[in-house]
Amino acid sequence: MLVRRCLAGDAVAWEEIVQKYNRRIYNICYRFAGSGEDAQDLTQEVFIKMYRTLKTYDVGRGAFMTWVTTITRNLLVDHFRKSKQDRVTDSMDTAPSEHEDAMPLSEQIPDKAAPPDAHVQSRETGETVHRALQKLSPELREAVILRDLQDMDYREIAAVLKVPEGTVKSRINRGRAELARLLQRTYRQVM
Amino acid sequence: MPGESKNGMQCAEFDLLLCEVLDEMLSGDRLEKFQAHGRVCPVCGPLLAEAKEGRQWLKSLQEVEPPANLVHNILVATTGLDTVRLRQPASAQPQISWAERMREWAGTLVAPVWAVARQPRFAMSFGMAFFSLSLALSMAGIKVSDLRHVDLRPSAVKRTYYEASGRVVKYYENIRFVYEIESRVREFKRATTPAEPGPAPEEQKERKNNNNTSGQPEQKQERNYSQGGDQPVLASAPNDPPVVTVTTYRRFV
Repeated sequence: MLVRRCLAGDAVAWEEIVQKYNRRIYNICYRFAGSGEDAQDLTQEVFIKMYRTLKTYDVGRGAFMTWVTTITRNLLVDHFRKSKQDRVTDSMDTAPSEHEDAMPLSEQIPDKAAPPDAHVQSRETGETVHRALQKLSPELREAVILRDLQDMDYREIAAVLKVPEGTVKSRINRGRAELARLLQRTYRQVM
Repeated sequence: MPGESKNGMQCAEFDLLLCEVLDEMLSGDRLEKFQAHGRVCPVCGPLLAEAKEGRQWLKSLQEVEPPANLVHNILVATTGLDTVRLRQPASAQPQISWAERMREWAGTLVAPVWAVARQPRFAMSFGMAFFSLSLALSMAGIKVSDLRHVDLRPSAVKRTYYEASGRVVKYYENIRFVYEIESRVREFKRATTPAEPGPAPEEQKERKNNNNTSGQPEQKQERNYSQGGDQPVLASAPNDPPVVTVTTYRRFV
């Protein structure tokens, strides 16, 4: 309904769309890109692209939320390629044994004094987890973000990532496990 | 190993069911097989524990608050309109009257002309033109104050035109009448004058020329170019030549 009104030239409908989805898109961008500035720029780019391609949205091909998330994900991939963060990422895609002689990832994460059990909800822990999330490969990162942070179901994630559901589940499992290992190393060193 | 089968379940199947187990969507016999495989498999067992821990870490992340100006920036970047402006109802917008719109429209037309007129070179040119016109009028004896009394109504202009044309026609007719009277008087004088002895041929010729008051070039007479002036005249002229009266009309164009 909002999309139809917006396509009919209703500026208020477009503002409602922005109000409704900006928080969600900003959070996806923030968790993926890592910084608030990049997230703000990317969110604006997402809405600009949405505004220009809104007439191409087909209701029969999926929910509007899925369409919006697909646009967001595509822009995030482009942003990732431009920033070339894949050079510093480490993930389950590479065997852990290959990096045993290299500097552990935990050293790249700032030390945090608080143990995870005691301050799970604290802000510092959140920042630690957020920084560890940036160390995941983009494929694993986007999968866990859409599943565990955006609560999308596997079918929707598969539609957004354009991969089978089995691949989605496998990436989610590996992403979660990789994140846990990164954080274990971090807090093990601290203690 | 991923392809290894332990307790009736392969590692690939364990990997697929891992999400459902963490979502608490698996139960019954498959859940038991899953748990049995996880207990004995050196790869899948730790994977289950790490995936569960990683999921807890991710769930602990709080949703971040977007910047306050994000919506405003998005709307400006897309529609070019401010949020506050969009929220204003149509009735709250100021109503512009028809006269004000016309004034604005006229202002847009006059503004470029006024901008040109404000330039010094235009003012200098205008001053020079005014000075020249004033000088020409004063030399012609025309007072500007008299121009104020000129009636420029269409009927008055028409009447002025007919009066001027009438004066011209009347002048022309008067001139014609005067010359005709003069010609009649001259003819009457000649008729009343007594006959005089015929003048010498040179006097006749001079007299003939004096009678020509028309100002027109002398009329050509048929001449015999084969006879010279000193040749003898075979035909004799009468002693009393007739007086030739020439009436001419001055033509006014």
